[in-house]
Amino acid sequence: MAGIRVQNIEKVFGRVKALDGVSLEVRDQEFVVLLGPSGCGKTTLLRIIAGLEHTEGGRVFIGERDVTALPPRARKIAMVFQNYAVFPHLTVYENIAFGLRMQKAPPERVKAQVDRAATLMHIENLLGRYPAQLSGGQRQRVAVARALAVEPEVLLMDEPLSNLDALLRLEMRAELKRLLAESRTTTLYVTHDQVEAMSLADRIAVMNAGRLVQYDTPMKVYQEPADTFVGGFIGSPPMNFLRLPIEGNRAKLESFALELPSPPPGPEVLLGVRPEDLEAYLEPQPQSFPAEVLVVEPLGPHLLLTLMREQQPLKVTVPPDFPARPGQTLWLRPQPGRLRWLEPESGKALASSA
Amino acid sequence: MNARLVYLTLAVLLALWVLVPIFLIATLALSDRASVFAWPKGILPQHFSLETISFFFGVEGVGKAIRNSLVVAGLTLLFALLLGAPAGYALARYRFAGADAYRILILMTRAFPLAILAIPLSVQFIHLGLYDTPLGVALVHTALALPFAVLVTGSLFLGIPKELEEAAWTLGCSRVQAFVRVVLPLALPGLTATAIFAFVISWNEVFAATLLTLRERTLPAFLLSALNDSPLPFRFAGGFFLIVPALVFIFVIRRYLFTLWGIANR
Repeated sequence: MAGIRVQNIEKVFGRVKALDGVSLEVRDQEFVVLLGPSGCGKTTLLRIIAGLEHTEGGRVFIGERDVTALPPRARKIAMVFQNYAVFPHLTVYENIAFGLRMQKAPPERVKAQVDRAATLMHIENLLGRYPAQLSGGQRQRVAVARALAVEPEVLLMDEPLSNLDALLRLEMRAELKRLLAESRTTTLYVTHDQVEAMSLADRIAVMNAGRLVQYDTPMKVYQEPADTFVGGFIGSPPMNFLRLPIEGNRAKLESFALELPSPPPGPEVLLGVRPEDLEAYLEPQPQSFPAEVLVVEPLGPHLLLTLMREQQPLKVTVPPDFPARPGQTLWLRPQPGRLRWLEPESGKALASSA
Repeated sequence: MNARLVYLTLAVLLALWVLVPIFLIATLALSDRASVFAWPKGILPQHFSLETISFFFGVEGVGKAIRNSLVVAGLTLLFALLLGAPAGYALARYRFAGADAYRILILMTRAFPLAILAIPLSVQFIHLGLYDTPLGVALVHTALALPFAVLVTGSLFLGIPKELEEAAWTLGCSRVQAFVRVVLPLALPGLTATAIFAFVISWNEVFAATLLTLRERTLPAFLLSALNDSPLPFRFAGGFFLIVPALVFIFVIRRYLFTLWGIANR
């Protein structure tokens, strides 16, 4: 077991800067999710840590070892690929045993490790089969078992669930969480699915355009996004951003006014608020502002409302029995403890938000 | 509907164009002497016998020519695979400057008329001591077989996901080990097909073999020079023996040839 530390990783593909000085530290036994939209460099970073891709600058450490110049086989890692990469010409047993055989492990150890990994992944009864005889979910299990069997210092996973159908993905997600909590293997996990990231991670590293934007626990990332990108990327529907005028040291919107945490940067400020943190009322309330309902979408557990407030669209979730209809005006009251103030130009959060 | 009829007619004509001579050669090669000269001939072999074939093998020089052909084709197979497979692998796995140009260049070697090369090649081979040796012929045949070897193995390796190799690397393999343990077993059927194809190209090649040998003739070259002054049964038997291996091999590897030409039926 060991942590991962990367310093100032840079990678250029042609004229595109895929990674622009990324530094990241994963503590021993920690589960970190690299999250970001496609093309943000998260998979490239993972592949650099695995040694499958060369870095043009910066260093990679696993534990205390500098592995920057080492080939993948010398890094004591294991990787689970998006398309599983289960060897089609080997049985499930031989697939799981592959890494141990490469280490020239004694037969008893191979047997013990394969059995242990197979039991963990519930594929004991599939050991004699070939991958062609397995379903996608079963291949996924084989891929994870194969990675765990070598007892790697670090486990790297590249969108391992994205090729599964929705129901299976939900099931495997919970299972992966149980499994990795049990084995306590340091894990770096790449995904573009923010729900997956929220559910699995000890910490989430949000990436955008080759940079690390925010690195924190899931709830912090969700509630206190570092900028408009993170707030907009995480959460479905995304965070609302309202442009408010500033009066003195207060942001004002109708009867709603709040003290700003730090000196106002300009004439306006962005208020970031999650759809579930806006309370909707049919009558005017203190500390609220009006908005017109455009669309009502019943989603089962709640209604998703799209409202318009002076050309600024807003998403709000309300209980399913809320009597909302298009054209109506509602009064929205933001919950004071759950607000985020951001600078309109840079999109960055203001220091020490409420 | 009409277009389909024309298409079918053409297909049948084309098939007959190829099949009728093969059929005649095959039936007559497997008949006795009398029916070779008989007229009119029956549709089916009248008297099945191995007389013609055994006569063919009895002719002086045939045994040596077959031996030479086997050596040349074997060497061609070996060279084509050893040179072609790595080139195909490089084309499939790496993006390098000039990859596309290289691909076209490989095909261009096939378009280059051998007739122009004939004299310089012979002269050069005499200088090098390669003239009239199986190795010399095998080298020319390798040049002919290489484009196919490169392109077929290229598409073959392209069909094996890179992640399989990468997974092997992360599990403790060096690049060579990953190739041997993961890629090679998966590529083996296709590599076999490539090898067979190289063998067939060499086995059937006449021009270079005739030009570059005098005494160490391969079978096609030997037959070509012996054909005019040999009896009819000998010609049929020789023709038969030339056709059969090619037909069998092509039949075995046809699905790889289809993939090469872009016809998907897998």
